[in-house]
Amino acid sequence: MAETSKSRAPGRLTLSPAPHFGAPTSTAWMTWIVSLSLVPAAVWGVFLFGLPAVRVIATSICVAVAAELASSALFRRFTLADGSALLTGLLVGLLMPAGAPLYVPAAAAAFGILVVKQSFGGLGRNWMNPALGGVVFALLSWSSAMTRWAAVGDASVGTAVVPPLEALRSALSAPGAVGRPLEILASHGYVFSSLDGRIVSWLNSHVLSLFHAALAGGSFDILVGYVSGRIGEVSAPLLMVGAAFLLWRRIVRWQVPVAYIATFAFLALVFGGLAGGQGWFSGGPLFHVLSGSLILGAFFMAGDPVTSPLASTGSWIYGIGLGLLTFLLRFYGSLGDGVAVSIVLGNCAVPLIDKLVLQHAPARAREGI
Amino acid sequence: MTHSNGLPRGGVNPPDSSLISREAPIANAVVPSVAVIPMLQHAGRAAVCVVKPGDLVREGMLIGRADGARSANVHSSIPGRVVEVRRVALQEGVSSDAAVIELGGEFDRSGRPRTLKEWEKLSRIDLLGRIQSAGVVGLGGELVPTHLKLAVAPGMSGSLLVANGIDCEPSLSADYALMREKPGEIVESLRICQVLVGASRVVLALGEDAEGLVPEFERALARASLQCEIALMSSRYPQGNEQLVLSSLDGARPSRPRAASIVLNVATLFAIYEAVVMDAPLIERVLTVTGAPVASPRNLKVRLGTPVRELFDDCGGLLAEPGKIVVGGPMRGVAIASLDVPVTKGTAGVIAFAGAEARTRKEWPCIHCGVCMEVCPWDLVPTRLHKLIQQGEIEQAMGEGLGRCTECGCCAFACPSHIPLVDILRTGKRSRGRAGDG
Amino acid sequence: MTPSDVLSRGIPRDDPTAVLLVGLCPAAAVSVRVIDSLWMAAGIFAVMLLSGFCMALLARGKTNDGEVAPRAAAGGWLAALVISSFLTASFEIVLLRAAPEASAALGIYAPLIAVNCLVLTVIDESSRAPSPGRALLDAAGKGAVFAACLLLIGVFREVLGAGTITLFPLSGFSGTIVIGSLSRDPARAISFAGGGLLCLGYLAALARAVKERRL
Repeated sequence: MAETSKSRAPGRLTLSPAPHFGAPTSTAWMTWIVSLSLVPAAVWGVFLFGLPAVRVIATSICVAVAAELASSALFRRFTLADGSALLTGLLVGLLMPAGAPLYVPAAAAAFGILVVKQSFGGLGRNWMNPALGGVVFALLSWSSAMTRWAAVGDASVGTAVVPPLEALRSALSAPGAVGRPLEILASHGYVFSSLDGRIVSWLNSHVLSLFHAALAGGSFDILVGYVSGRIGEVSAPLLMVGAAFLLWRRIVRWQVPVAYIATFAFLALVFGGLAGGQGWFSGGPLFHVLSGSLILGAFFMAGDPVTSPLASTGSWIYGIGLGLLTFLLRFYGSLGDGVAVSIVLGNCAVPLIDKLVLQHAPARAREGI
Repeated sequence: MTHSNGLPRGGVNPPDSSLISREAPIANAVVPSVAVIPMLQHAGRAAVCVVKPGDLVREGMLIGRADGARSANVHSSIPGRVVEVRRVALQEGVSSDAAVIELGGEFDRSGRPRTLKEWEKLSRIDLLGRIQSAGVVGLGGELVPTHLKLAVAPGMSGSLLVANGIDCEPSLSADYALMREKPGEIVESLRICQVLVGASRVVLALGEDAEGLVPEFERALARASLQCEIALMSSRYPQGNEQLVLSSLDGARPSRPRAASIVLNVATLFAIYEAVVMDAPLIERVLTVTGAPVASPRNLKVRLGTPVRELFDDCGGLLAEPGKIVVGGPMRGVAIASLDVPVTKGTAGVIAFAGAEARTRKEWPCIHCGVCMEVCPWDLVPTRLHKLIQQGEIEQAMGEGLGRCTECGCCAFACPSHIPLVDILRTGKRSRGRAGDG
Repeated sequence: MTPSDVLSRGIPRDDPTAVLLVGLCPAAAVSVRVIDSLWMAAGIFAVMLLSGFCMALLARGKTNDGEVAPRAAAGGWLAALVISSFLTASFEIVLLRAAPEASAALGIYAPLIAVNCLVLTVIDESSRAPSPGRALLDAAGKGAVFAACLLLIGVFREVLGAGTITLFPLSGFSGTIVIGSLSRDPARAISFAGGGLLCLGYLAALARAVKERRL
């Protein structure tokens, strides 16, 4: 029994409602972690495209932060601490081609923050993903600037400037293109890196010949992400590293990206080969999943809790719907790779999905008093 | 011994600091020099104070008589003299009269050898009478006078009698410690209740982390020749809630109305034992004193009316200036404004918070993550309810199940935006109550 | 109710585009260029003014307290619509002669002035107006505000969406002000219909914000 340490009279005791402790998570922390998990992909983009990429990302982040500061000052709130302005700016930057003139990411970021997010009440009240809203605005306003691809590395690498997906689409628009995606690209003179050539031929002659299989030229480049494209979308492995971290920490609900990618891959497999004269069930799903901003969109934007359904059943419906939309827009539409537009359309449908799912929640929820 | 299905859905696993204190033996708290004993320590009408300033009282003497059927007796927990009878503020804005008693004179019961009274020969009415006159109420939190609960017609088919040994809140281990030290008494009390109720099935519900107590209870049950199942349930919060215990036992949804089930907390059972076998009124209870700034958190046996301040002294004092003191558990307890608040029949624990833990966390906007919906054991969608309440649509919220909310706190615990959901839902329910009956 | 009341009431309370939200189709579709907005506003203004005046004249003397008997109302409506169609057709001919380019730009919306919601609203209110003079004033107020809104949207959309401001050609002035850097690569999405609706939405929000602060 300690004689000296008697309970001191407290100064003023906090009176707050129960519960008196909480799980160690916080919304702000989650948003900062999402930004952090995009850094590997951003670094790769800078490594590939150099200074132009840095300028684009810096511009969009600065404009997003400034727009948020200005608009929240109107309401005398300081909301930068929740990290969502930085995340929006980073995402907009990563969805831009490296050669885009700087007013494009600036306008996209400003539109995303001011129109899509702040006009509806700020964080949590937006019904469309702000980054994607800005990107779609830019796609519609400056369609040519959004296809100003930059060369990978410096000119000495000598790879093609146009991303594989765009090259495939233009190849398919001309008659007579036959084969799987990489074969079509090869026959149209698409240039992959020499590193890719060496690795693929080594693998083909030493490993795969045992199985009587062969990798098409360019597989390594596409898998690793050593191709042209938007700044943050090319490297699937690095994006997956970030995404795995988000899934592990349960910041992103896994149902949406899994349903999205699986549906899209299945549809690409079944129907994708038709254009290339391959018949049913022989599309190139891996090629299509790895090209365009599908992985970036599926994990970092479709899974965003604010604009995705509340219940997990709704998440499945949402993911499948997104996969279907992206497939239709990419294979039969003309708006780029279809990811941004389909997620934006999906966002519009989310309140309806929520309503349907919660209304039809099993009777167990309404049992009792 | 059976393993139950576990929580039907939801629930959370908050960090449990009761492990610090639960294996230590229950210590006796120092008898307070001044005890403040409120007349309202139960659900129902307040007792009528039958003493006045200047009266001498004995330990265990009746100082408040039950007012009608739905009320309970209040006894003095210390011998001494009544200094005054004044109005004290209890939690939740309720106030009641309380007798302030200054310690003095001899202890009739403490320190004297206790004689067990024969109870098997007593009639039902006498048994219930002993329980009623001792002022036993549900100590698991609902504080319903126990004699009302047990006054059911015996032998109803399909009736179920459950002894709830699951600590209702994380960090509280008073029930665990009581079960560890007094298994025989609890089993005997269960026998008494079974005589009164005549249930077709008797179950002792324990949390998984109390598995070590099972052998001792099996022995006690064998000695008492009481036919009773021991059911192990998950230790997720809020498994200790009465409806969830029943739901885990029969597998049906929690809110389903159930006939003829009686669930009694083990602390209540011990009080029944004391009332029937020892003929002793309810004047003390076991509670947990814990919290980071407490020097040696432990379970204490405390006289009712002891100010909270003295409990901390019994635990070695507070190592830091407390920022918040909570009476009850961390999930549903109430923060108090001063250390002079007295311990009552419903006080299961006292927790001190200091520093960052005491501060309210910064609130962010709702991001529709849906975690609150995932953890709600009652299948509610708290985020929708909170939005409806903020828009004033209380009727709509009631239609979506607001009435089922037991304010367990799981949603607010799990919310990453730290929205005070329980407070909002409670406000919604209250504003409805004002429109309807009181 | 004084004339100044009508005008001051017209702006915050009865503002067609921002508050009453009528007449939106031309507002969104036509306001891509300033000159088109101006012509549209002029057309609606003229038709509205004269139809309202005629309706008020026709409705006069029907009853004492301004209520019009149903059959009389039908007859009056028919007459008013005939008048407004006549006026619309006249406007179309004038437009075709004076500004063929604008006529082509307005397209179907020029003949639709006859059944424009705004025009019909004014006709309806004029049938209950205390006097033709009052009806004229009311219509003028609404028309002026509508023209101002349309002009505002037109300027915004053309500047951001095309980088130019197209006005009437005068001697030595081709009629188009070109804003150098913006016109090279403007934000074309704003000149799409979606952009128009977005502008309308913000205008309505602004009007409401102003109104609520005035309250």
